Amino acid sequence: MKTASRIVGTAAVLEGLVAQDSPVYGAERRGAPLSAYVRIARTPIFERGLIPAPDLVVVADDTLLDDPAVRPLAGLGPTGALLLATAHGADAVRAHTGHPGPVVARDFLGLALAEVGTAAAVSTALGVAAGVLAGLGPDAVTAAVRGELAALGLPAPAIDAGLRLADLARAGLAPLALGAEPHERAGADGRVVDVAWAPAETGAPTIVAAPNTPLRRTGSWRLFRPVIDLERCTRCWICFVRCPDGAIRLLADDTPRVDYEVCKGCLICLEECPPRAIRRERETRTWAAAGAAR
Amino acid sequence: MTAPPAMLTGNAAAAWGARLADVDYVPAFPITPQTEIVEQLARWSAAGEIAARVVTLDSEHSMLTAAGAAAATGARVFTATSSQGLLYGLELLYTVAGWRVPLVLVNVSRGVASPITLEPDHDDVLAARDAGWLQIHAETCQEVVDSVLLAYRVAEDPRVRLPAIVNLDGFTLSFTREPVELPAAAVAAAYLGPYAPRHTAIRAGRPMAQGVAVLGGAAYSYFRYQMHLAAENALAVHEEAAAAFAGLTGRRYGLVDGYRLEDAELVLVMSNSFATKGRAAVDRARVDGVPLGLLRLRVLRPFPRDAIRRALAGRQAVAVLDQNLSVGAGGITVTEIAHALYAEPARPRLLAYVGGLGGKEIGEAEFRRIVHDLRTAAATGEVPAPRLLFTEAEAAQVGALLRLAGKAAAS
Repeated sequence: MKTASRIVGTAAVLEGLVAQDSPVYGAERRGAPLSAYVRIARTPIFERGLIPAPDLVVVADDTLLDDPAVRPLAGLGPTGALLLATAHGADAVRAHTGHPGPVVARDFLGLALAEVGTAAAVSTALGVAAGVLAGLGPDAVTAAVRGELAALGLPAPAIDAGLRLADLARAGLAPLALGAEPHERAGADGRVVDVAWAPAETGAPTIVAAPNTPLRRTGSWRLFRPVIDLERCTRCWICFVRCPDGAIRLLADDTPRVDYEVCKGCLICLEECPPRAIRRERETRTWAAAGAAR
Repeated sequence: MTAPPAMLTGNAAAAWGARLADVDYVPAFPITPQTEIVEQLARWSAAGEIAARVVTLDSEHSMLTAAGAAAATGARVFTATSSQGLLYGLELLYTVAGWRVPLVLVNVSRGVASPITLEPDHDDVLAARDAGWLQIHAETCQEVVDSVLLAYRVAEDPRVRLPAIVNLDGFTLSFTREPVELPAAAVAAAYLGPYAPRHTAIRAGRPMAQGVAVLGGAAYSYFRYQMHLAAENALAVHEEAAAAFAGLTGRRYGLVDGYRLEDAELVLVMSNSFATKGRAAVDRARVDGVPLGLLRLRVLRPFPRDAIRRALAGRQAVAVLDQNLSVGAGGITVTEIAHALYAEPARPRLLAYVGGLGGKEIGEAEFRRIVHDLRTAAATGEVPAPRLLFTEAEAAQVGALLRLAGKAAAS
């Protein structure tokens, strides 16, 4: 999504506008939710950091809609637009989110996999689509894709594939009247409060609750699920040993079993399996299943 | 048609500053959110795009030793760190400043442990404020690259000869891209010229002792106070260097920076990248008819006492928003500003706030609270107690975390 934000930011500058784009990283490992912000203006931008009330929210993974730790639509007002990579249609998204504003929902991940062959390329598709919805010109968006993919160090064939994906991603999309409505100034009605002294039992950064990391279900991070072919599996334990998250356990007869509520889909097991007994299958969850996965 | 400016992060801008300064040596050690700077310089060095030698050391302590030692041979040296790394190297910050070696260090601000975090406030860089390094604090990515060049020019000036820190905020500048105009290499070269010191230029055939030991206090006092006098010289040298820079690029930097100050009766004082949000707060207040302006602290060491006094004398009320915390004392810059204003007959009411710790958002409600307090102070003379900027929603968020941690929620 950092690349998506950079495609939009670069395209805006190529159009003679002022832009600011910024990703936010945490300390999480690969696959964790990541956000990025883009501001576009005709005058110098006097803001920094997160955007409390965005005109357009782009979501690359529809399971994030239901993640209480992410809440990507939290700042989206009723007239704001939602751009979503999902195998579900726009009507299903409207029904699921209740969002009354414009919704653009397509299987951008499927496009990326078909045209480029990597899930990461979904960021190219979404950057292009967001640029079109924001009213940035096609030449600027194309130049931005070329520039940002080159800046990632991709070889020429991968850049060409990205440009083909860009054409597929923008097909049929038209600019929305983003920012036409005055901003609801989020946070403007907050109240500044006093912070009182607390005893060190509370006021020092300690955790006394029982270990709760296992309660954090990370299965929704997965774009692909590893599936073990038990006919070919030799019970060698390699997948069990290599899994960085302990998401594979061994049954009494040494048969490996993936815990799909925890597995993040890193596919290290697939790469490590000596007899190639693990394959990947793309995840397309139903809304209900996504909810149940928590 | 001129080419549009490049979209660069603050980290990329810092690396470009070192590249344009044509540095000779870059001792490095990684730390978030700084690492991209030395990674970029290492890539350029490996590709032969810059002449600098980039060497990874085993710690920031060693890194700063290497930086000072290389600078003591007359090399132009650049290095970068952040937060815990700066603190780990703190002993050497003091030590190499006394060697009078004008190297430049970029600090990417990040709150210090504990609790450990990644996002910015200025407790790291301000811990180094007494170490003998000049300090320039940048608001934008453009200012980062420009300030690295300015820093070399001021630090290397024979009237100064002290090292310099250029500070930029982690995340809000380090990873944020903005349009940046890069000075041409020839312009930067003409601006800086070659660095050819005589006071620190160890050669095999020309031995000299540097950083010698002294006892008894008199010699120590003399040499330490020489650092102070040299730092004070940097005020005038910075103004000259900034004027020369403006002549070449059209971009002018003051010791302090003002926004809508001309007719401001109330002033908000901030520094670094969150000052950009202060500009928006000034614009909102102006819409409501409130005569608010912004003063941004840019050069923190030497402390530009006169420039601050001139900017604030005669105003009705001034609110200093420190994005730092001296535990047990409060905000750091507000006490220095109070010192600058103390002898001023027309000194304003002075309000103290601490906000944005660990990169915490400073939202409209918090700025509105400051404006409310400023207006009250101007009208009644009443100055509220120093305050942490913290909202009801944030208190609720922390309360939820405390409950998750198995602790009784605080009020």
